Amino acid sequence: MRINPVLYGVLVVVIFFGVILGFQAAGVWSISGKVDNNGKAIQPDANNVESIKGWMTLEQICTVYNVSLPELLAQFGLPADTPATTALKDLESDTFDTTALRAWLQSKAQGGEPVQSATASPTAAPEPESTLQPAVEPTAEQPVSPTAEPTAHMPPARTITGKTTFQELLDWGLAQSTIEGILGEGMPAGATVIKDYVTGKGLEFSSIKTSLQAELDKLP
Amino acid sequence: MSTQVNSVEKAPRASGWKSWLKHPLLRRVVQLGAAGYILFLVIQHIVVGEGGDVVTASAEAFCPFGGLETLYKFITSGGTFVSHTHLSNLVMLIAVLVTALLLRSAFCGWICPLGFIQEMISAFSRLLQKWIPGFKRAVASLKQRGARLAVLDRYLRWVKYLVLAWAVGGSAYFGYMVFRDVDPWAALLNLAEFSFTPGFVVLLITLAASFFVERPWCRYACPLGAASGLMGKLSPVAVKRNEETCISCKLCTKACPMGLQVHTADRVQSLDCNSCLECVASCPKKGALEVQMGLPFGKK
Repeated sequence: MRINPVLYGVLVVVIFFGVILGFQAAGVWSISGKVDNNGKAIQPDANNVESIKGWMTLEQICTVYNVSLPELLAQFGLPADTPATTALKDLESDTFDTTALRAWLQSKAQGGEPVQSATASPTAAPEPESTLQPAVEPTAEQPVSPTAEPTAHMPPARTITGKTTFQELLDWGLAQSTIEGILGEGMPAGATVIKDYVTGKGLEFSSIKTSLQAELDKLP
Repeated sequence: MSTQVNSVEKAPRASGWKSWLKHPLLRRVVQLGAAGYILFLVIQHIVVGEGGDVVTASAEAFCPFGGLETLYKFITSGGTFVSHTHLSNLVMLIAVLVTALLLRSAFCGWICPLGFIQEMISAFSRLLQKWIPGFKRAVASLKQRGARLAVLDRYLRWVKYLVLAWAVGGSAYFGYMVFRDVDPWAALLNLAEFSFTPGFVVLLITLAASFFVERPWCRYACPLGAASGLMGKLSPVAVKRNEETCISCKLCTKACPMGLQVHTADRVQSLDCNSCLECVASCPKKGALEVQMGLPFGKK
């Protein structure tokens, strides 16, 4: 059966966009992790720090978890003039990411004192030298001391973040066998980002990170 | 079979709206619409951002290949996605595959914005060659020198299946999009970030190569085109060449942006055919090339 080329073109448009519109009409459509399948905006859950996502803003976090913006900024050594509308992912660095923020908020929620804040004025951007060590994820084994001396200057060299690779662990002196022991399997290529690998395996990044960080902290 | 082009029985000239409503024009309109919508999404995402009350979609949420990369995780981990993908990617993938199942790789030829951009660059190159004789000579010289590499063409066309296997398998194994860093489409969508990524280099190479070869990315490396082509093999629709009417003028082969030998085929069933129907539009002989419905895997 012969098909007119113009009709063929119309069929392409109708079938392709028809399938999409059909799924949309059935409610099977989402273009963002910010809304659920019903189109309702996803908000951070005050009782669950795991609900924090990189696209959420400082303002959302401060409101839902009842912390002040200057306190949060000082905690992670972020510039004091950082706008409240800034998304968390835009602030990611060696000293700050959503995992570290979750850990800090979790410790606050459990009544533990957070790591001592910076003394810089909240109205002025702190000098790089005055920034404090970020919150190392506190654990039951390693509670963060409220009286700990603020470790000034540069961020700690051996803090695992969402961007740390396996190669960095090796470079910091952690033995491959130790890493593999924690992973429970062989270590992937050194350039692999730990978080990507762990989440890809369906494991909880925070628990693996805590175990690896504990091993790192034991190193001289 | 006549070989005289000037004795061709041409189709009767249409009048009224039928005179301008031809499928190449319709194809360009559809391509332009799709590319324009993606451009709108990119600009909207940059201008509105992500901090406001309105949720703006990243254009990456509309990439069908993202659906293929996240498919394994979606199935095996209870509906979750790899980073940068959403339900929309899966729906787009289904739309591409359904279209391919019914109408071959028509998404590539009629909708894909990256294919459209490559075609526009090739058209611009042809225009430059018309205007600037020196450029025409340079292109001709390059093509002449490159002719000896033409033997590689048929082997290089298999690269896209390796890319497909690596991108899908890698995403399934590692849990993130291993292909994204070298994906020229992702690089183009994120051009505003001014990131000098491997994908940006691939994009530059693709755009530069489009001056000399039509649709180089689609021919050799596009994993989505590979998947669509494989699905399209099951399609009942194909371009049919009527051997008795054909005058072997080779205009169809010259018009094919994928470099297929249309003038020797019985049914154009190549995995690489993107169903753009440029061959049909270029055919001077009425009834020599037609879009026909028939059994898949029919006679070549």
